[in-house]
Amino acid sequence: MPDFPTYGPEEIEALDGVAGAVLGVFKAHGYVRHEPAILQKAQIFVDRSGEEIRRRTYELSDPSGRELCLRPDLTIPTCKWQVESGGAYPARLCYHGPAFRHQPGAGQFWQAGAELLGLGDRAAGDAEMLALAVEAVRAGGVEDFSMIVGDLGLFATLVDALEVPAQWRGRLKRHFWRSGYFEALLARMVAGEANDAQRAADTLHGLKLMDLKPAIEALIDKEGEAPLGGRTRDEIVERLTIQASDGTAPRLSPEVAELITSFLKVSGPGEEALETIRTLTKPVAARMVKPLAAMAERLRSLKALGIPPEKVRFVAHFGRSLEYYTGFVFELWTRAGEVAGGGRYDTLLESLGAPRGTTAIGCAIRTQRLLTARAI
Amino acid sequence: MSEPVTLAIPSKGRLKEQVDGYFAKAGVALKQTAGARGYRATVEGHPGIDVMLLSSSEIAAALAGGDVHLGVTGEDLIREAAPELEGRVALLKSLGFGFADVVVAVPKSWIDVSTMADFDDICAAYAQHHKKRLRVATKYTQLTRGFFAHAGISDYRIVPSAGATEGAPTAGTAEAIVDITTTGSTLKANGLKVLDDGVILKSQAQLAMSLAAEWSAAQRTAAASFLAPLGVSLSE
Repeated sequence: MPDFPTYGPEEIEALDGVAGAVLGVFKAHGYVRHEPAILQKAQIFVDRSGEEIRRRTYELSDPSGRELCLRPDLTIPTCKWQVESGGAYPARLCYHGPAFRHQPGAGQFWQAGAELLGLGDRAAGDAEMLALAVEAVRAGGVEDFSMIVGDLGLFATLVDALEVPAQWRGRLKRHFWRSGYFEALLARMVAGEANDAQRAADTLHGLKLMDLKPAIEALIDKEGEAPLGGRTRDEIVERLTIQASDGTAPRLSPEVAELITSFLKVSGPGEEALETIRTLTKPVAARMVKPLAAMAERLRSLKALGIPPEKVRFVAHFGRSLEYYTGFVFELWTRAGEVAGGGRYDTLLESLGAPRGTTAIGCAIRTQRLLTARAI
Repeated sequence: MSEPVTLAIPSKGRLKEQVDGYFAKAGVALKQTAGARGYRATVEGHPGIDVMLLSSSEIAAALAGGDVHLGVTGEDLIREAAPELEGRVALLKSLGFGFADVVVAVPKSWIDVSTMADFDDICAAYAQHHKKRLRVATKYTQLTRGFFAHAGISDYRIVPSAGATEGAPTAGTAEAIVDITTTGSTLKANGLKVLDDGVILKSQAQLAMSLAAEWSAAQRTAAASFLAPLGVSLSE
């Protein structure tokens, strides 16, 4: 594929055919088509996408100096449209069109997608989206694919259940998918940190909760006329309060670090992998029951869709670097590469102004890739 | 006579004086042409070297783009113009002047922040509280991106800054900055502190070679004989 391809009559017809088949599936399940603009304001993507997407976004400015971009994905503008148009929930929206990312080969590619927004029953939403993606790929002419599934919520639950200093939970959850960096982070936590900020927290340790706030504010005032940037004093107070409650010189126990490391190494055929995780997480079994049952349920629904269990791999560290994902994630792979992927992103709509707790799950189908996969 | 080798040196400021001093000490005499305000010079005894006087950042861009063969400028500017150097620029010699550190600095009043790991926590918390990303003002966009990615930080936004970056947190146009510092006094005066592990680059003036430029055999010979008295040899 050249970097700046021109599609001839056969190629366009084939692409239209696949797109029509995929959109037909979406429509049959009640998804309404709409089409966000290709040219978008950059800000909305900069503020919400992961670094992987941001690094690969084509940014430009118009003659008046406004920062624009070619849409690197259609999920964010679709969600924004839903929030701003004030439409009812649950909403089922779909689309097909070009998206743009800086990558080897052509920076423009075609994708179809579906978004299920504001359905309160998460299990039902997961099952619906999985079935939709599988059916769409099959309608696009590809029967032979394998799958990777994961769940960011599973790791988050584990970290909350284990004995981890409260101030470090966020760090672990944010970085678990960064191999190399994450191992170094764990090692640092086991060794314990000693720095000025920790010493500030140490001086506060032992104070009663009601004395903490004035003590912290006095420490801030000692710095004189220093600016705060956009951070409020309360944000500083809140973070130091959590740190003070962890006691002096917090450390992660080597056993907990070992459990986390072993958990993230789990990768294999779905049911086997879940069994390994059940054994590993026995010390906190009570907390893990619900999310593990939810994953088992998804595996069962895949079996019911006629996908052989040996073709479904559960990967514990599978998180996708599009940072807005929050829970269940999945990808469909062929020898031509990834043909579809999706997952749950329950915080994006709220960040765009939707009511708190508005759920979302979606999938994207690489229609052009489906054509390649069919040809192999 | 074949095409000359182009050498770019700073056209003004403290760095120009230091570069002039460096060449003079090694017995290399530069002669400005086209009048005192000329932006060209020649080197006595080396007719194959064509000297151009440019601004420090233009020199970095010209090295990265292959528009000049050799250049003297700050390593910070070179690494900003050619991230990781990427086979585009070779640093031939650290010149022992023009020292400055490129650092991450945050408000002193952030008493809960002293490391990049703290900064990472703050970025994530800020995005959650304020529904937007924490802003980092800098003219070192590339260096900042690379360093932050290495530190695992992604919840931030770069605000390009043309000058007086250290005033951005006070002015309310950014929460933190990445900037150059020599003594740290300007940062302190603006109520900022450098993070313990927030030194991105310890920079000094470099004599550098552009690998992106076209080098003929004759040009290599001319450059090698010019550099020999300085105790510098060309990169392969």
